[in-house]
Amino acid sequence: MSVLKDIPVRYETPQASTSGNPLANVFDEFIRFCRSRSLFMLHYCTGCGAIELPPAMTSRFDMERLGIQPMVTPRQADILLVTGYVSVKTLKRVILTYEQMASPKYVIGICSCTVNGGMYWQSYATAKKLNDYLPVDMYIAGCMPRPEAVIEGLRALMENIRTGASDNWKDYYQRYDHYLANQQRLFGETWQTPTDVIGEAKNYGVLGPETEGEHTRLLSLHKQPLEPLRMTLNAGKLERM
Amino acid sequence: MNLTELMIELVLMPFVAFVIGLGMVLMMRKIAARLQRRVGPPFFQPLYDIVKLYAKRTQTSHGMVHDIGIVMAVGGYVAAETLLPMPGMNGIADKGGLITLMYLMMVPSLGMALGVGQCANPNGSIGIGRALTAMLAYDVPFVIVVFGVAWHFGSTNLVSMIEIQQAGGISTWGITQMPLLALAGLFTLHGMLGKQPFEVYIAPAEIATGPMVEMSGKHMGGLFVMQSFQLYTAAALYVTLFLGGGENWLFFIVKCFVVLAVPVSLAYLFPRYRTEDMVRLMWKWPVLVGLVGLAFVMR
Repeated sequence: MSVLKDIPVRYETPQASTSGNPLANVFDEFIRFCRSRSLFMLHYCTGCGAIELPPAMTSRFDMERLGIQPMVTPRQADILLVTGYVSVKTLKRVILTYEQMASPKYVIGICSCTVNGGMYWQSYATAKKLNDYLPVDMYIAGCMPRPEAVIEGLRALMENIRTGASDNWKDYYQRYDHYLANQQRLFGETWQTPTDVIGEAKNYGVLGPETEGEHTRLLSLHKQPLEPLRMTLNAGKLERM
Repeated sequence: MNLTELMIELVLMPFVAFVIGLGMVLMMRKIAARLQRRVGPPFFQPLYDIVKLYAKRTQTSHGMVHDIGIVMAVGGYVAAETLLPMPGMNGIADKGGLITLMYLMMVPSLGMALGVGQCANPNGSIGIGRALTAMLAYDVPFVIVVFGVAWHFGSTNLVSMIEIQQAGGISTWGITQMPLLALAGLFTLHGMLGKQPFEVYIAPAEIATGPMVEMSGKHMGGLFVMQSFQLYTAAALYVTLFLGGGENWLFFIVKCFVVLAVPVSLAYLFPRYRTEDMVRLMWKWPVLVGLVGLAFVMR
């Protein structure tokens, strides 16, 4: 794909408002505004970028005045903050975490390592571009970015959410085959997550033409349904206690 | 009172309580921020959070009981609001009374226990186990306080309690008549809110917010609504029992916020107690103070 004209171009016509009523989108705009002003943040702090987050959260720069506060479980979170390099092993956990979050969800990659591998470019154990495996909404480049840059990036994301420009969580559903292909390349063909992404896409009506493909077919061959672990009590052990 | 007026009050009372509760959530977060030398959230932040949570596209439910548990948690407080007199609105307060209110205030915790139980997340189970133990801890002094107040006024009717206190002025207020019970009550209120020294069942860093660990979207939104109801209910009950209720809206709201500001300001100064330490503390000091207060009331 070194020749420019070979690169496939996708162009989706933006949906124009069908009714002439200027108040038709007021409710949607209100919800988008609320979404942009209330962001719960799950930080996956593996890299050195995590050091810059405490000053951004605490009294010096105070994220809470922008409505951003840390949350501790993926279920409650809106933003997944990946601060720094992701090794192949941690990337699995990041993907598991991302798929458990409730949409609309946003991914922020902090530090150069998430952009292009950074100083770990030659490492065999790190994933280079986070964008290949997860739909990243905002990159905050730098090694490491200062808290001002982090706040600036978060403000830019807020603006994108408010105007509706930031909906990459749909991209994960609509081009799941692409993301799964990259994940399978790294983790092997038997890679699977507990979340049924295709089922969710069908349920919420965000199915795209590239949701299913050859890689999801490969997944369906290996996919084993999740079964709850059986609870067992070792009575002999209990007696000896 | 005719039926239409009653119906309007029954709808209006939870709604007003919710709006005041949102203000209380804001105050709580603002106080926390100021104590930590931060600016704190903007004015409408509690509202933004709730709207955002309800507007989530994907909703993860773990089954029917999970949904019903949240409904119970919110519904218990909605029912409790109709039993708590507000200035100019009594709802069904003279028919319910203090004992019914006490029962209804336990329903949310039980609802959450049900809902969390179905999530089957070990963190949630640990959290709800701790929350119910905490409830056991603060309910003992709570019952002593309620018993003492009811004995003092000779009734469990909240409306007549407010009338007695407002007719006699400050000298007949619960806090001047029974200061020891009021002190024990404030202690109990602190435990009931689940604020800092007593928030081991939430423990974000250790058990990932305990009961809330599997809640997302509208379930979490329901819990945010519940929190604002909880703050209002605890503060308004204290105001009704000890501070003479509300002569008018201004005094009522000011009193509620002042009462709540005391535990919330103290909260961010302390680390937390372990569950058994909390039980030990709650069954020792507020119970002791409450029993001495009770002896003075019943002498």
